[in-house]
Amino acid sequence: MIGRAPFWTTALVGIVALIWIVPILGIVVTSIRPPSEVTLGWWRLDQVSFTLSAWQRVWEAYPLANAFWVTAQLAGMATIATMLLTPAAAYAFHFLKFPFRRLLLIIIINAFVLPQQVVIIPLFQLWRELGLIDNFLSVLIPYVGMSFAWSIFLVKNFLEDFPRELIEAAKIDGCGALSTFRHVVLPNTLSPVFAVGILQFLWTWNALLLPMLYLRSNVPLPVLLTRVSGTYDVNWDLRSVAAIVTTIVPLVIFLVFQRQFASGSQTRTGAKE
Amino acid sequence: MAHVELAGISKAYGAVEVIRDLDLAIEDGSFTVFVGPSGCGKSTLLRMIAGLEPITGGEVRINARRVNEAEPIERGVAMVFQNYALYPHMTVEQNIGFSLRMAGLSKSAISQHVAEAARSLQIEPLLKRRPAELSGGQRQRVAIGRAIVRQPEVFLFDEPLSNLDAELRVSMRVEIARLHQRLGSTMIYVTHDQTEAMTLADKIVVMRAGRIEQAGSPDDLYEDPANSFVAGFIGSPRMNFIPAQLRAGRLEVAGSPFTAALPGADGPIQLGIRPEHFTVGEGAAGFSLTVDVVENLGGTRFLYGTLADGTTLVVEARDRPGLKAGDVVPIGFAPERAYYFDADGARIRKAH
Repeated sequence: MIGRAPFWTTALVGIVALIWIVPILGIVVTSIRPPSEVTLGWWRLDQVSFTLSAWQRVWEAYPLANAFWVTAQLAGMATIATMLLTPAAAYAFHFLKFPFRRLLLIIIINAFVLPQQVVIIPLFQLWRELGLIDNFLSVLIPYVGMSFAWSIFLVKNFLEDFPRELIEAAKIDGCGALSTFRHVVLPNTLSPVFAVGILQFLWTWNALLLPMLYLRSNVPLPVLLTRVSGTYDVNWDLRSVAAIVTTIVPLVIFLVFQRQFASGSQTRTGAKE
Repeated sequence: MAHVELAGISKAYGAVEVIRDLDLAIEDGSFTVFVGPSGCGKSTLLRMIAGLEPITGGEVRINARRVNEAEPIERGVAMVFQNYALYPHMTVEQNIGFSLRMAGLSKSAISQHVAEAARSLQIEPLLKRRPAELSGGQRQRVAIGRAIVRQPEVFLFDEPLSNLDAELRVSMRVEIARLHQRLGSTMIYVTHDQTEAMTLADKIVVMRAGRIEQAGSPDDLYEDPANSFVAGFIGSPRMNFIPAQLRAGRLEVAGSPFTAALPGADGPIQLGIRPEHFTVGEGAAGFSLTVDVVENLGGTRFLYGTLADGTTLVVEARDRPGLKAGDVVPIGFAPERAYYFDADGARIRKAH
């Protein structure tokens, strides 16, 4: 049976996949059936009718469109900032010499072990002092700052295999540190930078804790979702729509870019390996 | 064109000194080759001239100007790397023109210079390709193109041919020699291959353990090596060393009537004879060689054999077809072709 997986593996994987898909299916079904039919469970088939009324009403019932726009802005800005700053930092840590380089790197990488929950209270006090509560910066700064721990680590690891001769060739060709980064390092570091960008986008899109604490008037989707679920209305259909709207973007991003995760180093100096 | 001087150069990594108090003058327009076994400091020396490696002590001067702290670009040097170091995301054209772009030249000037360099290296059809689509030899040409396009004062080559196959290495070697003739620039070339050194250099600098063993023209080094290391390194196949004794001012070799008057104290010494300076056959008695292997190169042949005391020798036997493994042949040499080295490897010059 060469080239074919044994039956039981296929079956097992199929069952696990099904378990994962059932809740998603449930949400979709709930969103298109009237709430009265599904109070005992979305799988009940006593009465079956489909309606798109929840999909129409939710936009007036809750500020879903605004939340979508806010989320897009937050995740977009945090992702772009991380994608620009991370390779620059990784390059500096890997190829340049400056005082306290090692110590700084250790501090940044060790932020890895620091859970978000530890910093929320001091950060809250800081933002209040600075008047940044309800300002996008209050979540963007920690989004980007806390991503450095893993993102610099990831890109710097990639740079371990980066051919040093390229940096030297750039130096011979008249590049300074910044132009070497711009013209030589960055164009050859795109795959880890995109991997970092995708992860950062997914995480900031789904982020709940920081925006829930620091933002008031304009909140992103996950926060809105908690508000929608926190009411006592019988709004299962509306909740489902909000959940789908929240999840759909990360899902699409992941499906489109999943190849980026697997892609390896494309950097070669042209030498025969 | 430029004159390069190294004055009292030293290099240390922490407590480890890899180059120590080295002096060397490289004449304007010369082709100088640093040669030596790996780890001898030749690449480090080249990288210090390039400005890629900080200098621990001493001075590097280009055209009598101290450049220790200068960036590579201010030194007017261009470098060809061992693994070419072509920018993988740029086309050949962009690779060659990159330094000009960094220097702020106009687009039309860049493309004119690039076209010129490409024409002289016959890589015009490759200009739109990327390095990954090129063969090793083509990549090497592009790397050279990237160096010549800037019209540098000094060319630096760091083992540029060691990644090429044997045939290509020979043709690129000739091409680099031609390039030197055409441009007349100062070129400094690092290699561990003595054939490359012999064929390319005006001046060979033989290095070992961070020191210069001898510097001179290829002929000087071949004819008049300063010590057994240089004698063994220059020439292919390498020189044979036969253990001998110095007793009361005369050399004695076990199993041979050969003798010579030499200065120096009694003790073990070495007799050095190049393979090509042996003659094979009756009447040329010096030693009796048991042939182990005959290496037939067509034009000539080399005998690999042993003497009675177990010393292994390589002997060129140009006009002696029909010899085979197991034969015992008498071999001899002209006394004036023999070199003598003391126990430390220093040359003993015969008193005339």
